[in-house]
Amino acid sequence: MRKRQGALYALIAIASIAVLPVGAQTKDTEWPTYGADLANTRYRPLDQINASNFSQLELAWSFKTDNLGTRPEYKLEGTPLMIKGVVYATGGTRRSVVALDAASGEVLWVHGEHEGERAMAAPRQLSGRGLAWWTDGKEERVLYVTPGYRLVALDAKTGVPVHTFGENGLVDLKLNDDQTILPDLTTGEIGLQSAPVIAGNTVIVGASFREGMTPKSMRNNKGYVRGFDVRTGKRLWIFHTIPTKTEPGYDTWLNGSAEYTGNTGVWTQISVDEKRGLVYLPVESPTGDYYGGHRPGNDLFGESLVCVDLKTGERKWHFQLVHHPLWDMDISSAPILADINVDGRAVAAVAQPTKQGILYVFDRVTGKPVWPIEEKPAPQGSVPGEWYSPTQPIPSKPPAYARNGISVDDLIDFTPELRDQAQTLIAKYKIGPVFTPPVESKLDGALATLTLGTASGGTNWPGGSYDPETHTVYAYACNACVTPIGLVRPSKELSDMDFVAGTAGQEARMRTGPGENAGADSVAPPRGGEGRAAAPARAGAGGGGGGGGGLTVQGLPLIKPPYATISAINLDRGEIVWQIAHGETPDNIRNNAAIKGRDIPRTGQSGYNIGTLVTKSLVIAGDSLITTSSSGARGAMLRAYEKTSGKEVGSVLMPAPQSGSPMTYVWNGRQYIVVAISGGAYSGEYRAYRLPQEQ
Amino acid sequence: MTRRLALTFAFAAVLLGQSTRSVWDGVYTADQANRGQALYAKECASCHGSDLTGGESAPPLAGSGFLSNWTTLTVGDLFERTRVSMPENDPGKLSRAQIADLIAYLLSANRFPEGKAELDKQAEVLKQIRIDAEAPKK
Repeated sequence: MRKRQGALYALIAIASIAVLPVGAQTKDTEWPTYGADLANTRYRPLDQINASNFSQLELAWSFKTDNLGTRPEYKLEGTPLMIKGVVYATGGTRRSVVALDAASGEVLWVHGEHEGERAMAAPRQLSGRGLAWWTDGKEERVLYVTPGYRLVALDAKTGVPVHTFGENGLVDLKLNDDQTILPDLTTGEIGLQSAPVIAGNTVIVGASFREGMTPKSMRNNKGYVRGFDVRTGKRLWIFHTIPTKTEPGYDTWLNGSAEYTGNTGVWTQISVDEKRGLVYLPVESPTGDYYGGHRPGNDLFGESLVCVDLKTGERKWHFQLVHHPLWDMDISSAPILADINVDGRAVAAVAQPTKQGILYVFDRVTGKPVWPIEEKPAPQGSVPGEWYSPTQPIPSKPPAYARNGISVDDLIDFTPELRDQAQTLIAKYKIGPVFTPPVESKLDGALATLTLGTASGGTNWPGGSYDPETHTVYAYACNACVTPIGLVRPSKELSDMDFVAGTAGQEARMRTGPGENAGADSVAPPRGGEGRAAAPARAGAGGGGGGGGGLTVQGLPLIKPPYATISAINLDRGEIVWQIAHGETPDNIRNNAAIKGRDIPRTGQSGYNIGTLVTKSLVIAGDSLITTSSSGARGAMLRAYEKTSGKEVGSVLMPAPQSGSPMTYVWNGRQYIVVAISGGAYSGEYRAYRLPQEQ
Repeated sequence: MTRRLALTFAFAAVLLGQSTRSVWDGVYTADQANRGQALYAKECASCHGSDLTGGESAPPLAGSGFLSNWTTLTVGDLFERTRVSMPENDPGKLSRAQIADLIAYLLSANRFPEGKAELDKQAEVLKQIRIDAEAPKK
């Protein structure tokens, strides 16, 4: 025993010498925007951490976000920035901003806004996805959007609001929006959880709303996009994501429905081609995720990729990915700007990963598809009052990289018995290919349409990464996030819509998203004592993701593995180069009695919030679940794959799943990887990894 | 006992794998689980489902999906997670006694055996009760 230990120590000593070769100088490298750059590549050409040493990473520092708010947060989704040795991040239930020393994690300053009732009523609470940084060479600022929808500019060195920006550092985003936010400034539904984007001296801000499965009304505030002067906070331009009466696209809303329909915001990350002065807006669904009977027509610019001018906000081109949206596909992640070569021709392209597992690729100057996108006949439905688009656009290339419909062949098939049981289970549902519409839920008919690649995705908000050296997009996708979409008639008290999401035989209830009503200002903090009188509780039921809880066969997922994948998609050829299952086989599947003892290849883990990072040689992403390793250790792995092949080359055990996408930087010659983790019993934490110091 | 000494003992207990009890030792009563069930229907079922299988964004609280999240952690961890964050729209609403009842119900729904004494309402005590998905081999 002792001898083996000695050998082990020797091995460790040798390994640690090999970690940082003497004289390996790596230039300091920043991560200045949410997605590494305005093209949203999530790429840095760093190689100090590589296949040979990834598994030797150790914790440099960690930062717990519990005290950034009145209670801990279990859903930390941020990606920090690193500029000049300082890490900036949002965190906590108050969505505070922290500045940390990049090498040690020491807190340099903290800023938080106490917004009271306005934050309590906010549609998007909790810590958000991040912030933006700006400099003119002299001054440095960081900007973020509060839960209550205010744009805040802080002095990057001190964290103090810049008093010359807006009113004492704040711009009230509920004002000056070409609409009156209803019912009032405090409770009017509009907010934003993503990071603002700064290109040149323009800061661009979108808008977000409550989850849209059960809207209170067919009428809602609209999610316009605006550009502001980063120095003064003055509004420079606005883009109407729902056209006004005199603007092109208004006629795609029949019966004048553009007047009252809302939502249609840009809640995810925006990309900018600064050289060409072009901004790329991924627009979400209009009011009513699953029912569009009150907004007949194609509904521009709902679920469209829109290119606007950076200086004026004027539309240059648009492409609607989904006509008359009915599936909550949104456009959920940053468009990726990529300079590629197709058939010997240089193309300035934009590639859009989606919930529906289709990567749409366009010439980003002209808006023309790089490979033909055909309008194909789409399945039609029979929900009373609904309007159906006869066709939907389907790209000829690249092929879909994740499941976006359900056929019997997609069902669990570990054993013939399990397949039989799955078929019995789905008999109560409608299934079909991509764009199979929702049904009116009936006890003696279909309870719902079972969908994949809709509300959860596919690729959700973390988006993809892009390697400019090999012209390859890397995209994580959930491949088994089933969302049943059934519609029921709501009570008058619940909604004035004709239909909202629900299940026949069950009372239709308001569905809220994860984190709604859970921000720092939402309610009084928990007390350690014997509780207190019940506060007026709001209705709350699931919402958001669409895990399809309960749709299991003997405790196993209805859909067969892989449950999630990472795909490498070459943009010169429009081909999937490799695709792997991402994430360890979950314990409850590995240990399930129905399949115990069977040799099952790694299944991956169903989850919709995993983002990837690309470096010189690696693709890096964490697991979305906690599992037990063969040695009995429990945790979630941060994994590294060789980017050319998808082969796993290293991993590090983390105490909780990845919940925000990883980033990397070099400071003082050492490369760091920072990742947000949280979930289950583990509250939000940023963890910074680096290699051991050279011996 | 000084606090530091107590911590040392607690740490040593963890190191030696001596969490004094596990959920297989009958750590709650049937009455307590019944109280918890009524409370669950009122406070939790709208998100986590009336059958504890979870909702669209709330995790399951029974079955293998739940157990694989919590096995090797302690009842105290589960208690504290619930106390500081649930119900999501109003944490702090439930007393510690009510949370103990709820957790007794979860244990019962996950088919851990009932016992003669009620589950305690102090997290420090509950942290000595380990959650093991599998019954100990006899």
